[in-house]
Amino acid sequence: MAGIPYLSLITFLPILGMVIILLIDSKKITLIKLISLIITFSQLVLSVILWINFNYKAVGINDPNSFQFVEKWRWIEIKNLVEWIGTIKIDYFLGVDGLSMPMVLLTALICFLGVIASWNIPKAIKGYFALYLLLDTGMIGSFLALDFFLFYIFWEIMLLPMYFLIGIWGGPRKEYAAIKFFIYTLVGSVLMLLVMLGLYFSTYEILPDGTQVYTFNMLQMMNPSNYSKEGLLSPFNPHNLRFIAYIFLFIGFAIKVPMFPFHTWLPDAHVEAPTPISVILAGILLKLGTYGMMRISFPVFPEITNQLVYWIAIFGAINIIYGALCAMAQKDFKSLIAYSSISHMGYVLLGMASLTTQGTIGALFQMFNHGTITAMLFMIVGVVYDRAHTRGVNDFGGLALQMPVYTGIVTVAFFASIGLPGLSGFISEALVFLGAFSSDSIRIIAAISTLGILLTAGYMLWTLQRVFFGKLNPKWSQLPDVNKIEIAALAPLAVIVIFFGIYPSPMLNLMNSSINKLVEVVSNAPVVFSNLSLIIK
Amino acid sequence: MDKLGNILHSLNFFYPEIALTLTFFILLLVDLFFRKSKHLLPVLSLIGYVITGYFSFTTPNASGFLFSTGMANVGLYITDSFAFYFKLIILLSLIYTVLFSILSKEINESTENRGEYYALLASFGLGMFLLTSSTDLITIYLAFEMVSLSSYILAGFTRKVPRSAEASLKYIIFGAVASGVMIYGISILYGLTGTTNIYLINFYLANQNYNTLTLVIAGLMIIGGFGFKISMAPFHFWTPDVYEGAPITITAVLSVASKAAGFAILIRFLKVAFVDYAATNLQASLWAILPGFQWNDILAVLSVLTMTLGNLAALWQNNLKRMLAYSSIAHAGYMLSGFVILDNQGILAILIYFAIYLFMNLGAFFIVMLISDKLGSEDIDDYTGLGYKAPFLTVSLTIFLVSLTGIPPTAGFIAKLYLFAALVNTGWLWLALVGVVNSVISLYYYMRVVKNMFLRESISTYEQKIELGHVLISFSLLIPTLVFGVYFKPLIELAEKSIRIFGF
Amino acid sequence: MIPLSFYLILSAAFFSIGVIGVLTRRNAIIVFMCIEMMLNAVNLSFIAFASFFGDSSGQVFVFFVMAVAAAEVAIGLAIIIALFRNKLTINIDEINILKW
Repeated sequence: MAGIPYLSLITFLPILGMVIILLIDSKKITLIKLISLIITFSQLVLSVILWINFNYKAVGINDPNSFQFVEKWRWIEIKNLVEWIGTIKIDYFLGVDGLSMPMVLLTALICFLGVIASWNIPKAIKGYFALYLLLDTGMIGSFLALDFFLFYIFWEIMLLPMYFLIGIWGGPRKEYAAIKFFIYTLVGSVLMLLVMLGLYFSTYEILPDGTQVYTFNMLQMMNPSNYSKEGLLSPFNPHNLRFIAYIFLFIGFAIKVPMFPFHTWLPDAHVEAPTPISVILAGILLKLGTYGMMRISFPVFPEITNQLVYWIAIFGAINIIYGALCAMAQKDFKSLIAYSSISHMGYVLLGMASLTTQGTIGALFQMFNHGTITAMLFMIVGVVYDRAHTRGVNDFGGLALQMPVYTGIVTVAFFASIGLPGLSGFISEALVFLGAFSSDSIRIIAAISTLGILLTAGYMLWTLQRVFFGKLNPKWSQLPDVNKIEIAALAPLAVIVIFFGIYPSPMLNLMNSSINKLVEVVSNAPVVFSNLSLIIK
Repeated sequence: MDKLGNILHSLNFFYPEIALTLTFFILLLVDLFFRKSKHLLPVLSLIGYVITGYFSFTTPNASGFLFSTGMANVGLYITDSFAFYFKLIILLSLIYTVLFSILSKEINESTENRGEYYALLASFGLGMFLLTSSTDLITIYLAFEMVSLSSYILAGFTRKVPRSAEASLKYIIFGAVASGVMIYGISILYGLTGTTNIYLINFYLANQNYNTLTLVIAGLMIIGGFGFKISMAPFHFWTPDVYEGAPITITAVLSVASKAAGFAILIRFLKVAFVDYAATNLQASLWAILPGFQWNDILAVLSVLTMTLGNLAALWQNNLKRMLAYSSIAHAGYMLSGFVILDNQGILAILIYFAIYLFMNLGAFFIVMLISDKLGSEDIDDYTGLGYKAPFLTVSLTIFLVSLTGIPPTAGFIAKLYLFAALVNTGWLWLALVGVVNSVISLYYYMRVVKNMFLRESISTYEQKIELGHVLISFSLLIPTLVFGVYFKPLIELAEKSIRIFGF
Repeated sequence: MIPLSFYLILSAAFFSIGVIGVLTRRNAIIVFMCIEMMLNAVNLSFIAFASFFGDSSGQVFVFFVMAVAAAEVAIGLAIIIALFRNKLTINIDEINILKW
């Protein structure tokens, strides 16, 4: 095992693929597609190898020694040239724990299936796949990075390819949707940048040679004893700005989630984006928001997380109910799914806010499940749109007889999205509610949120009924059923959804020890941090 | 040491400037005899700049005052690593400008007097060299005017083009008024202290009583004059007109080199003249400013005004050159915010910003020049669909624009990172917040160009053959823009070494 | 002997008149004359200070200012001529290709 830099391979394989694609003549379309397929497939294989070799006992989160497959090199080091600057160092620091491993698996899987779903992209194939692979690197890198600076770079690398992928290959209002996506997420990331700098100037790391240097290392930021006495974001500083910093960071992530009221970019982006990009967007990009909260906000600012979980839960509940109500009102199939995404991400927020192991595992598992289920849903919309060139929910009817295989897959996805027992969505939602109800502070909010389940069942079943049952619109009597490529993209997801619905323990075990640790870090925080502030006084 | 001996001794450290002066004269002379030759002059100027560069590297830094006036052991001129850094930037942008000019259709076709063009470029460079190192208000004023006078002519060089002549007239009127205001401020400062050397001014201010209000008025007038050079609001009105009207090669050099010289002298003047030596700990980064007036409050207002005005006005522009002009105003605002904190960290950020700005901004102007030479227009709407007709140029332009926005992994991000890091570390959080919000605003207008190039179908019959020279120059600008985004160590080290101003 | 402040007030008055002229006059040549007036106001204040201090550097400065002013006007007039050939006017209000 040792010696092979698995994580770097996973991260930079797509970049390699991008370079190869850029060098190929743009007329060799099939070759370009094949290369992307091979690259993303090897990425998937690598991530499965990681999973097989994963040590389920290692906790990670804030313990630098129990991360796995760690790669840590000095990236930038500027020695003490000028007295008042001191040494500057930035690490290249990758690692996985139970929190990031499911996300890495999800990313590799969705990116691979996304390439299959992109098989019939109409124009500028070369540019499309080059950007697609660049996006892939950005996403995987963000999930793996343990150095804040590195995380930020990967986080930002995603923006530009996404802008072009929506903007060039998108629908009629693509320009508006693309720039809206770009501006919203950039607002979030510049706020994150300020917090990152504030944290950098507040934490010290002690190098092996004994010198104290400022650090971007996230794990060091989680350890209160690394904070300087007078740092802006140091808990020791009686005038610290940790609360504001937390809000900034939270907004940065919430825009990605997207949490109400920062959600308006999402329906636009989804509706205009081409199918595979919607899949990526819903399947992976949204997860980065909640992942960021769990990875950075929660353990770096545990005491403020504790104060604010109530509000996070409220916003989660708003997301759930508001998203569901909006979804119900949509006439466009794709924006319906987009709003259902907003609703489902609300469960993640609710689960995280419970600060219990079940709830948080539920949240992380919901992230994984939502990734797979929504990916399916968007591909399903893509299938019907490719054939009928319309997405109006009311334009269809009776497709079940016309496209039986398709309808079978759709039923799995819809029921999983509703949270029917036996499918993966059920497990995660059940865990989220279990956690939320066992937490005293947010029990009422959890109770209100259950309304969301009813609403979800309502709009999903209603949609199913409008599109697939009833009388067949004669206009669609020529629609062919799903073809092999589409089955290749949809079937693996359906299998995963059913498999984890019946037997979720491989995934739950993967998350267990890390999430336990995360919950412990956050819920024990008040003691640790307030003790420290007592020492100063 | 007697006067003559001092001058002779000083000349040993004056080789770069001598080389530039000789380049200027040689270009003028050669132009008299070899009018026909097309490439002789640019090649000669390149050789001249390379020799200047060689001497800049070999001349020792921190050698002390040159051209001593005999009194109190101070002089008119200085060589220190701070000046050296800015000279490098100026020299690099001059070299690039000459290279651009060789390829520019505008320059090659519009005028028969190419000799004066290259000669004036050299005198422009000489003025900027002198400006970065001057320590006496007399030399500062003369160098300042040398830069201005050369650039007035250069801006209107394609004089048969109406907008070029108009730009030139507006430039000279604004410039003359600004220098008038500055020199009036200088005369007041002279009246207050009885000396024109900025080190002696500092000495008098630190040890004698003076009227603070008078000092503030004089200081603001002088800063206004320098602010004209760096297009700081409210002295920025000339910038869009001149940038749009001037030949694009000149716009490029004005936007980088003359701004660098302006910043160099602004920093040197404020730091040397107004810093309380006794209270400043040389090991720390914060300067202690002489009591009486908080310069950073007023500078903060100016900085916010500059970046916000620049960005907001850029949103409405249809002419790409004009948009880049407003964007350069906004960038001056960002850099000024590094100066606001009156702290070496901010100065370091400015130094880094300039080096990166050099590559990304020149790159953007170069691509715009190549495209508009073929397209015959700088209108953003005419760029529609160019992404599919000229992929190399448009992708390069996109990278430069993304870098100007400050998104990783381009170098522009590192520039902004250091700037905001300095602001956050010194507690100027609101200024950092304004800065990042402005970066987001700037995204919109930079992306508008990108949108037109890639997100829309082409309507024009534009065709472009890429020449080797275009590719080479583009790459020489692209590579630093991308490499400094992920590996910025060498740049930071150079900047850290260059931070020291003589006497500090 | 005339006190220093008289010279300075005169210089300030000249300078202000110059600035007002630049801002209000519409003829490019008169604008340049107003700029000259600003510079001469500066010269006056330099000379006044120099003689007050008994220091020569102020007077040296005046020579430089005069030389630079001459150069500036020479260039300015050349530009005005170039512009006049294009537009047949030297009225600043009509020089308006470039705006916003």
